[in-house]
Amino acid sequence: MSEKRRFWILLTLLLLSLALAVYINSSYSTSLGL
Amino acid sequence: MNYKRANNILLGLIIAVNLYVIAAPLLPVLNFWWQNRDGTKQVVLQSKVNATQTGPEPNQLIIPSMLLDEKVHEAPISQTIPVLRKGVWRWPEGSTPDKGSNTIFIGHRFTYFNPRGVFYYLDKVKLNQTIGVVWNNKHYRYKVTNIKTVKPTQTSILNSTKDSRITIFTCTPLWLPKYRLVVTAQLISPTGDLR
Repeated sequence: MSEKRRFWILLTLLLLSLALAVYINSSYSTSLGL
Repeated sequence: MNYKRANNILLGLIIAVNLYVIAAPLLPVLNFWWQNRDGTKQVVLQSKVNATQTGPEPNQLIIPSMLLDEKVHEAPISQTIPVLRKGVWRWPEGSTPDKGSNTIFIGHRFTYFNPRGVFYYLDKVKLNQTIGVVWNNKHYRYKVTNIKTVKPTQTSILNSTKDSRITIFTCTPLWLPKYRLVVTAQLISPTGDLR
């Protein structure tokens, strides 16, 4: 696999990871103790 | 562009982000274990609960069995989300310890932000244990009389009561907001009107 192709795959994975982290954070923040 | 170097950085970032997502929920466990390793903090908190006088200090909720000693925050219902991020919130439509009736404390079971779920260990509270509240520089001591799980729609836990009590609740089970874990404790001092 070329380094350029690996770069785009890793960048996509990083964005997906960040999206997951933000989603989990926000879902806990809105799941109120009420 | 040096793709090889950029790829190493990206891989490091991916690992860091995912480690944070996975490990953060376990941090309260490590924190509790570390603070409870010699048992002294629980003794210190218990003596704070048993104290009858205090100097000027913020309103606090003290639960020795879960090593909790947290400031109680005040905010209107419209500020629910930001105030719960800070920690323990006194339900503004409930009472206050000095007025008797039902004083209600609410907190998250877990959050990714500090404090990482003030009531993470609310399930460690057992019947007959004592809970302290510092309110307007006065100490109030309560005895746990009821622990139950209710549906989120069961808002009767917020009702005012004839006796002086505190109601503490959070989400349960640990990772889901499906039910509410409710701990009720009745006042034993300073007025000693436990029934």
